[in-house]
Amino acid sequence: MTEQALPGLPGGPGGPGDRAEGGLPHPGGTAVVPGRPWRAAGAWLLRRVGSAVFVLWAVATLIFLAIRLIPGDPAEAILGGPGSQASAEALAAARLEYGLDEPLWVQYLSQLGRLATGDLGTSYALRVPVAQLLTEQLPGTLALAAGAWVLAWVLALGLALWSGLGGRGAAVVGSALEIAAASVPHFWLGSVLVLLFSTAWGWLPPVSNGTAAGLVMPIVTLALPLAGFLGQVMRESMLTAMTSPFALSARARGESEAGVVLRHALRHAALPGVALSGWALGSLVSGAVVVESIFARPGLGRTLLQAVTLRDVPLVTGVALVSALAYVVVMALSDLAERAIDPRIRDR
Amino acid sequence: MPAAPRSARPAALAAGLLATTLVLAGCAGSPGGGTAGSGTAAAPVSGGTLVYASGDAEPTCLDPHVGGNYPQALVAGQYLETLYTKDDDGAIVPWLASGAEVSDDGLTWTLKLRDGITFTDGSAFDAATVKANIAHLQDPDTASSTGYLAVEKIKTMDVVDDTTLEIGLSSPDAALLESFSMPWVAMESAKALKRSQAENCASPVGTGPFKVAAWTKQDSVELVRNGDYTPPVPGAGHDGPAYLEGITWKFIPEAATRYAALQAGTVDMIDNAQPDTIKAAEGSEAIGHLDAPRPGASNRIELNSSKAPFNDQRVREAFVRAVNVDDGISSLFFGTAKRSYSALSSVEPMGYSDPALFGRDLDAANRLLDEAGWDQRDAAGYRTKDGKRLTLAFPVSTNQSVPAEQSLFQQLQATAKEAGFEVKLNLLDLSSWYGVLGENQYDLVSAPYTKVGPDVLRTLFHTSNTIPAPSGYFSNHAQVKDPKLDALLESASATTDQAERKDKYTQAQQIVLEGYYILPLYDQQNHFLYRRQLQGVGATTAVASPTFHDTWLARD
Amino acid sequence: MDDTRLQRGPRRGPRTGPHRSRLREPRRRAGLLRARAAGPVLAALASLFLLLAAVAPGWLAPTDPLAIDPAAAFQAPSAAHWLGTDESGRDIYARIVHGARPSLLIGAAATGLGLGLALVLGLVAGLGGRLLDAGVGRIVEVLLALPGLLLALVFIALAGPGVATTIVAVGLSTAPGYARIIRSQVRSLRGSPMIEAARVLGHSPARILARHLLPNALGPVMVLATLGIGQAVVWASALSFLGLGEAPPAPEWGAMLAAGRTYLGFAWWMTFFPGLAIVATAASSTVLGRALQRRAVAA
Repeated sequence: MTEQALPGLPGGPGGPGDRAEGGLPHPGGTAVVPGRPWRAAGAWLLRRVGSAVFVLWAVATLIFLAIRLIPGDPAEAILGGPGSQASAEALAAARLEYGLDEPLWVQYLSQLGRLATGDLGTSYALRVPVAQLLTEQLPGTLALAAGAWVLAWVLALGLALWSGLGGRGAAVVGSALEIAAASVPHFWLGSVLVLLFSTAWGWLPPVSNGTAAGLVMPIVTLALPLAGFLGQVMRESMLTAMTSPFALSARARGESEAGVVLRHALRHAALPGVALSGWALGSLVSGAVVVESIFARPGLGRTLLQAVTLRDVPLVTGVALVSALAYVVVMALSDLAERAIDPRIRDR
Repeated sequence: MPAAPRSARPAALAAGLLATTLVLAGCAGSPGGGTAGSGTAAAPVSGGTLVYASGDAEPTCLDPHVGGNYPQALVAGQYLETLYTKDDDGAIVPWLASGAEVSDDGLTWTLKLRDGITFTDGSAFDAATVKANIAHLQDPDTASSTGYLAVEKIKTMDVVDDTTLEIGLSSPDAALLESFSMPWVAMESAKALKRSQAENCASPVGTGPFKVAAWTKQDSVELVRNGDYTPPVPGAGHDGPAYLEGITWKFIPEAATRYAALQAGTVDMIDNAQPDTIKAAEGSEAIGHLDAPRPGASNRIELNSSKAPFNDQRVREAFVRAVNVDDGISSLFFGTAKRSYSALSSVEPMGYSDPALFGRDLDAANRLLDEAGWDQRDAAGYRTKDGKRLTLAFPVSTNQSVPAEQSLFQQLQATAKEAGFEVKLNLLDLSSWYGVLGENQYDLVSAPYTKVGPDVLRTLFHTSNTIPAPSGYFSNHAQVKDPKLDALLESASATTDQAERKDKYTQAQQIVLEGYYILPLYDQQNHFLYRRQLQGVGATTAVASPTFHDTWLARD
Repeated sequence: MDDTRLQRGPRRGPRTGPHRSRLREPRRRAGLLRARAAGPVLAALASLFLLLAAVAPGWLAPTDPLAIDPAAAFQAPSAAHWLGTDESGRDIYARIVHGARPSLLIGAAATGLGLGLALVLGLVAGLGGRLLDAGVGRIVEVLLALPGLLLALVFIALAGPGVATTIVAVGLSTAPGYARIIRSQVRSLRGSPMIEAARVLGHSPARILARHLLPNALGPVMVLATLGIGQAVVWASALSFLGLGEAPPAPEWGAMLAAGRTYLGFAWWMTFFPGLAIVATAASSTVLGRALQRRAVAA
């Protein structure tokens, strides 16, 4: 009746090594030395920071190489975009100023050096410091992504709970809704919402106008597909948890169904969702590109699209680094959250 | 992208005409016509902010000297003015200038300027300012594209006195005054030009009815009324500053969202209106339509005559005869675009058109292809010659071709197949599109070119324009290398006798059309939709971008 | 255990350990079995239709999907055109049927590429020593840190738009996610009694890999992968929307969705039916995938 959970997701229930009591075995691995919590925390932090630095370095390198490989003259990008009828002198001057004539490894090292000191450079196309652009655009995307993430979680958990409590019928309907939501492209959903809620019924403004009402449609558009995906994952986890031996014993102890769900199964449902947080962030950022275009919202998504189109290397690097940083932070937070939710995880 | 829409900055005649129309015509504004106003001719009301949403990409610099594309012209037309402008009849008339004389050999122009005009930063408009502006355009550090080309023949400039500037050319240029009417050669304060480019890009200083107050990137540009403004030409529009307090210039790239915003009242005017929304608006009482085709070239498909298969004129003619674009244009554009048979825009007085050359004739096409040696057909139905298939590469820029146009190209592809052509459509972003063109990897291309005046023919069809700029760009995409045509274009650009110019340009266009180097489609579409609360809409610059000095917001 | 004590809860049987499916549950209501079969059966039928459309579109839709007829543009669904016509008068039903091949190809190939890459990465990390695990882990982390669309955009800028590029771009974006799961599974399977027993019995490493490790490692990924097929098609449609998809006039569903969006206000059928096809693909692949997984695990 219940679908099998997804074993293998870090810390997910029902993984191999789980015992029939559905309790708390400790899978192998280094356990925390009891009595030295600060040392463990410090070690964890050090590991996280180290991994963050590595990720940022790798992202910067990848983008550097990738953009250099794209056909096209970066000097042109500097001088007002593609097809610019810039004169030879102007191009030469731009190359000199931006060091584009030097060998690749020199350019790479100097860019790394600049990044290490926090200098993100100047956007080729917009002639404005990248750091300034990022600080201007970040809040918009952040609001959108955070709102969408919260909404997606609420919807996914809600559907999971409903399936858990409602039985098979609810599970089927919930599953169908989730599959439909996960299969809908952002641009289509956004267009339909604008058509219905703006043009036809006039309830919501089609473009952002600074008010909260202007955020509703973009957030819903961004959240629904993610909710569909998360919902699938969470529902399975929850249902597995609800039929596991520990749930059985809880019921045997006289716990109500709702109690079982809220006190025990919810953790199991939430776990894969938390584990997927990093991936969800990437998905939200990708979706934001489309959503910001449709609803004409300023943000990193639109900036990124424009930057790649115009071959604006510093800006693409800047946005990629911000995303990577956000990812690292989200992963660290989700790691903490996992530990809080699932006491079985102690060996990381 | 160099633009050259036709705009008609109301000179004395036009402004008077407009005012009269407003008063007399009342509700009789024709759909698709350039007149504004509906309802009763109430008295203009001062105040209010116009919210304009542009579908074009946000400019990277508000100073149209830098680079030089149409989005810049649209916004700069509000705060910058030009030396010359166009009236309703398409004639070039003085605006900030008061007149010009040219020497007999055509190499020296004496430009007379109007007196008493000041910039919003207090500095005076004089000959030294004009000199500084042209120098700014010619300076490589400015990285000007369109403006640079417009003034490329200017060699020396002499400030004779405050209102007289003597300009020395390297060779005669009959299109000089037309060049001076384009927003990319607009006049900015010399003091402001001395600032860093970043500063000048953020807030250029001009003499126009509005000035730049703030620019929030990726959001909007705030323009406010220039309280000291009055039109340089008496009678061209009302005296004194604009009625509107300000303009909020937003950027909404999504067509559906833009139109939805207009319907919702969030926005008062939009550009790049899509054909289906224009049709819907024409039936609506609440939304008005301004149709202002851009000057310069028509929207046409160019056939690359530099390599096979289009180096053979018979194949070119066969292609033009084989495709059916009329049905597509009427169904996809809902009747808002009229078929063009000319290389020039319909607003160019010297345009020449020849519909007979472009009638669909599949039999003629087949015959020509057989004659040209493409007489075998392969299994898929495409023609072959020496084992090679008749394939045409057609890169399409998604930035420049609206969805309706992309669909039109698909229909063109389908009808060309009937004669045995294989057309390969390749959708690309702007950078990649320019890259493909620069490498000569195309057989067909649709590249709009906006410029004021018939000199655009020289830009598009003179041999010298097949030589790429350092960036790889060249403008003669049909790669026409005809000495007779070159001679005509050169002599036309050297003579200031309008009748002689017209005759030469007519001959030049005949050569282009009869050589089947291009397939004209329609005018460069430039449709604006606006809410009827907006009154006094219709005035445009020489490049057909709207201006709002006489515009006011009616109280509901 | 006494069943009566469990009457309070929903009727579910005891778990008998990991990797066992729900097939052992008491089938108290015959309707339950029918209802359970209905889903996979419907999904199987839908998948069959889609596969047929992909393999032999001419059977299901003899009309030419590329035949234009400007006079018949924007027609609503009718007897002549079951699902209506698009802006060039092309029959939408024919286009959807003929579009199955490129759309499913993109979905399947991208998912396959992603899984293949993930398998390599996951196995290396799961079976290798600590250093290898850490190394691969870092690579995966970096790939995950980059938003998928950025990867896709940069890759397409490098290689030009088209079907192959879309497949690689989407595959690359999905691989790291699968890799983590596979690696995690392999790691924990390594020490399980099942593998130990196999080793003790003297099975060769290759056999252990093929018969025990792979099926169980792939198990959890299959559900995600089947959902991923639908996701890949949606991704491709987003790329078409951004102008980076397959060349026209190919009737790929994503491109149809993107193109029809312009006319959403008055020709809803242009986007509704391709969208339905995408949802149907995603749904049927998910349901089937789950059913297959249950069966595989029960074995």
